[in-house]
Amino acid sequence: MKTNPNLSDADGFYEQLMDAHTGLSPEQSELLNARLILLLANQIGDAKVLGECIEAARKVPA
Amino acid sequence: MTASSSTCQSTAFTNGYEFTQGTGYTLPEYPFVAPPELGSTTRVRHPIVIVGGGITGLTLACSLAHLGISAVLLDEDSTVGVKGASSRGICYTQKSLEIFHKLGIYERIAAKGIQWSVGRTFAGSDEVYSFDLRQQSDFNQSTQPPFINIQQFYIEGYLVERVTELGHVDLRWQSRVTAFEQSDAFATLTVETPQGSYQIEADHVIDASGSHTPFHDWVGATKQIKRGDDRWCIADVRFSTHPPVERHTWIEAPFNENRAVWQHLMADDVWRIDYQMAPNADPNYVSREDVVRERLKLQFGEDVKVDIVWVGPYAYRSQCLDALRSGRVFFMGDTAKIVSPFGARGGNTGVADADNLAWKLAAVLRGQASPALLNSYSEERLEAAQQNVQVTNRTARFLRAPEGMERVFRNAAISLAKQHLFARSLINTGRMAVANTYTRSGICHATGGQSVQNAGFAWGNGEAGTVNDLLTWAGGRLLVLAFGRLTPSALRRLRQMTANAPVRCVQVMGADVLARAKESIQDREGHVQTACHMFGHAWALVRPDGYLAATGEAIDASLVQAIEQSLALADATSKEAA
Repeated sequence: MKTNPNLSDADGFYEQLMDAHTGLSPEQSELLNARLILLLANQIGDAKVLGECIEAARKVPA
Repeated sequence: MTASSSTCQSTAFTNGYEFTQGTGYTLPEYPFVAPPELGSTTRVRHPIVIVGGGITGLTLACSLAHLGISAVLLDEDSTVGVKGASSRGICYTQKSLEIFHKLGIYERIAAKGIQWSVGRTFAGSDEVYSFDLRQQSDFNQSTQPPFINIQQFYIEGYLVERVTELGHVDLRWQSRVTAFEQSDAFATLTVETPQGSYQIEADHVIDASGSHTPFHDWVGATKQIKRGDDRWCIADVRFSTHPPVERHTWIEAPFNENRAVWQHLMADDVWRIDYQMAPNADPNYVSREDVVRERLKLQFGEDVKVDIVWVGPYAYRSQCLDALRSGRVFFMGDTAKIVSPFGARGGNTGVADADNLAWKLAAVLRGQASPALLNSYSEERLEAAQQNVQVTNRTARFLRAPEGMERVFRNAAISLAKQHLFARSLINTGRMAVANTYTRSGICHATGGQSVQNAGFAWGNGEAGTVNDLLTWAGGRLLVLAFGRLTPSALRRLRQMTANAPVRCVQVMGADVLARAKESIQDREGHVQTACHMFGHAWALVRPDGYLAATGEAIDASLVQAIEQSLALADATSKEAA
């Protein structure tokens, strides 16, 4: 799992993500997020990396 | 026996293959024959007693008979088909069909059963995706198809007839085991019959009595259980004008309140329509004839004319024993594990359990292997059971995705699958049973553990043969397949091994290699070699259950070691002590 910066355009990506959710109901946003996660997971593919990402996401610092 | 079972008393339901209308099945009745033990004071000790005459117990009985090994089978009923079981198997996958081929009943199954190749999956009114099995290559080494749909009781009936034909196994109907105890020396079973009860002793007891087995309590077996609230209702029907011969699966069926529905054809033009019900639905209500007919009308239209062959509500639990052997008792089929029906991993796993133990019992009873070989049954089939429980639990979770995030992700996967190929792999409507690979078996070398498909070849005289013919020719001994050219010294070593160990050897020739071994086969297209998961000059050691024990690069000590390992001869003393 990469934790060093890897995004070619971090601010651009973040803006695009926010724009995609603009005007959506919470339910529509949930579906969009789920679709996005599945699409991104397929880009990664590797089961070990995906497992590490899920674990990393679960560990929210206090 | 069956893939599903009731979770609790309230959902238990009595449904044999009884018709609510129509002409129906007439199941065979097997007579009770008073055994010699009844009314005798002498206790008889049998090497093998099988408890339960479902598909698992009967496959074991037939496998033992095929190997010429004597056994007694006790079944509490007088027919095939289980009273009180609301769901029974309809789908038999390639490995099971290969086993039935070896046992000599495959042709009857193929003639009676149905094969389909197109499957379509729907959500709402949209088709999510479809597939055609004829375009998939995973199954193409075998002479058997990927699967056949046929009612379970037909196979059980064929097995009974085959066992009777082969002899060796004494099938005792209307014989219920009511008590059991075991010592270091033997086991004792009390058997109740219409003419009174008697006791028999056994060296090996195989519990294939199904999901309600009393043996778990008798031996204090521990297990992992997971209960769900998912409820289903089967309607087996005949149509006046029937739908296309395709399997249709709805994850969300508009005509079933957006719950799942399965639709597929089996023998006698009978369709199984399987409806997912509301959680904790009342089984009596959902299986009432007028309610079933209403559901069928919603699905097939007002004008549909159907004969209802059989209706059965069911619920399932998943369960897996922690060990498949307890002293002299071996657990198989639904006594080993219980899974939801998705992917046909119940009955097919039971058939493979039976095939795994049969040759080991034969080898031990003939003195060809160490008694420690029997421990490998639990090792290998527990791995298979655990894998099947995991796979079916994942399907069950997908199909019963609760409202909230699980449903959101399922909706996301369904919507993506309509657009993109990758997301189809997330749509889990069941993963078809496979011949499970053994990755942690003490009797398989690191190169072995995989199933060998029943590939075809040509005998020396040009006649067509299959791997099963070789296994039958080996008669319960291990099979060495020597591929390609053999040097005279390699041939000499091979002959010595054949003379001194319970193995038979055959030379497998490619397109233009001369035969040196007396027994040789022609594998021009390389089907046997591919089925053995190997390439180039080498040997493969194949077990009587069509599993690869090991492969190697030269006919030398490594082959001898592999043979010893496969029969648990290498460390017999240490394992026996354990």
